[in-house]
Amino acid sequence: MIRRVLVCASLLVACAGEPRPAAGLDDSGRPLPVGVQARRIVSLSPATTELLFTLGVGSRVVGRTRYDRDPEAALAVPSVGDGLQPNVEVVLAQRPDLVVFYHAAANTPAMARIERAGVPIVALRLDGLDDLVRGTRLLGVLLGVETRADSLVRDLEARLAALASPAGGGGAALLVWTDPPIVIGRSSFLSEIIERAGWANVFGDIQQPSSTVSIEVVAARRPDVLIGGASVLETIRSRAEWAVVDAVREHRLVALEGSAFTHPSYRAPEAIAEVRARLAAVPR
Amino acid sequence: MRWVVLGVLSLVVMGVAVVVGPAPIPVSDVWAALLGRGDTVIVGIVRDLRVTRVLLAFLVGGSLAVTGAALQALVRNPLADPYLLGLSGGAGLGAVAAVSLGIGGAWGVPAAAFAGALLAIVVVYRLALAAGHVMDPRVLLLGGVVVGAFAASVMGAFIALSPAAEVRSAMVWLLGGFSGASWLTLTVFGGYAAAPLAFLVGVSRPLDLLTLGEEPATMLGADVERLKRALYVAASLLTAAAVAVAGIIGFVGLVVPHGIRMVWGHGHRQLIPAAFVVGGTLLVVADLIARTAFAPLEMPVGVVTAVIGVPVFVVLIRRWRD
Repeated sequence: MIRRVLVCASLLVACAGEPRPAAGLDDSGRPLPVGVQARRIVSLSPATTELLFTLGVGSRVVGRTRYDRDPEAALAVPSVGDGLQPNVEVVLAQRPDLVVFYHAAANTPAMARIERAGVPIVALRLDGLDDLVRGTRLLGVLLGVETRADSLVRDLEARLAALASPAGGGGAALLVWTDPPIVIGRSSFLSEIIERAGWANVFGDIQQPSSTVSIEVVAARRPDVLIGGASVLETIRSRAEWAVVDAVREHRLVALEGSAFTHPSYRAPEAIAEVRARLAAVPR
Repeated sequence: MRWVVLGVLSLVVMGVAVVVGPAPIPVSDVWAALLGRGDTVIVGIVRDLRVTRVLLAFLVGGSLAVTGAALQALVRNPLADPYLLGLSGGAGLGAVAAVSLGIGGAWGVPAAAFAGALLAIVVVYRLALAAGHVMDPRVLLLGGVVVGAFAASVMGAFIALSPAAEVRSAMVWLLGGFSGASWLTLTVFGGYAAAPLAFLVGVSRPLDLLTLGEEPATMLGADVERLKRALYVAASLLTAAAVAVAGIIGFVGLVVPHGIRMVWGHGHRQLIPAAFVVGGTLLVVADLIARTAFAPLEMPVGVVTAVIGVPVFVVLIRRWRD
């Protein structure tokens, strides 16, 4: 906690710049396009697409990115390609009356072009569960499904509270790639899942979502468990140099697959419970 | 005397690179770990990670510098470096294609990079011979540049069409690094590189003749045509293996041979072995900086070689012109 405060003090700009906008504004500081009766929505990130379906307005979604594969019903919606630097022409061809962007600097030109075409936009950056709650309330107001949004949020908060327990876990290293070794840092959603499951991310000092490190550092941090995708773990098992890491040598590896771990959604409580059970089952 | 200084310097540098790393370990523990005593993790870090990494960096750096020196003599162009002849493009395409197409596994990316580099070598070699039965260094250069450019644009297509995160990983791999160092990669690379390295050291005298020009070299008794082809094949095969174990590491092959020529003269009998030792030492230093400067984060070693290689080179050029 003290460390977090210090980091914020030394990086005032970065922390103050975190999107916590006033009511009525989206994450980019734009006023919400209230009064728009959105019937044709293009959603440009996996988290917002899934959220729209969870809010019960999936039938109004007419475009998604090629990475938005949840829920299954979303696959029936036409893909418009990428969500970062989207193809504006393809987005407009869906004749949307609302475009939900992932708020990022790379999207600024595309947002401006869509607005210039006269289509209202909302920019949201849903990277964690707090963001998800904020996004739910905001879209609930905007799309006229406030009651549904409120009950979703209350339900999520209750389920998260039920899961809350003293941190009894150890330290986990989260590995997303092996050539070179790339680990997940503090600002990734998976890191939040691990922490809510009562474990610590041994690379929690890395501010970025992910970063390249050497195997030496992974070994020296002595994670109790090493978490990765199935193919990453298979690679690690077959390479002699990784045996330097205790967790690898002693087979304390946990494979996590699935989108519940990659973007915030209302499936998060189940994901947290699953992680907690899987990590508890690893002999220490 | 020069050789003694160079040898001692490189040994000291390698020693420092084994002692210093992103995980702080006291010197006494490093020494104990080298002898196999102490905590298993520390023994593993020192013996299996640091020692292999330092040795692999030295071998790769030496190979790149020797290859650069030989290619500069072959094409008689001071701009020649190990990747000039389409190799970086071929290797990059192989690596990115493997990641995009999901050809993973423990050795997927390095093997695909090696295959891509070999493909580029074959195409450029055929191109260079297409204009008659003589290998023309000018056609070799042009062929290398266009094949490299073509491979780079196909690579661009893969990048544009593939999921961003995975391709980013392949790009980071291409920027170079020794995170894959192990006794296995060290043995494989060392065994493989021995033959081309021995060949390049052995042709020092014909290389001296070749730098005089092809006609004078022929008149002085060199079988120029065979020499050129063998040089190209040996240098390219060596570079392809270097790419497979460490990605693309720029500037070592360009800067080191020129630097040695400026301070030590042009004779290849001195130049080639000196390039091996200096190139190896330089890359060990660059890798040391890459893994410790921003610890626990690691930088691509190719970035470091450029950052230290270019200023050194600028100083050398200024001295040379005075």
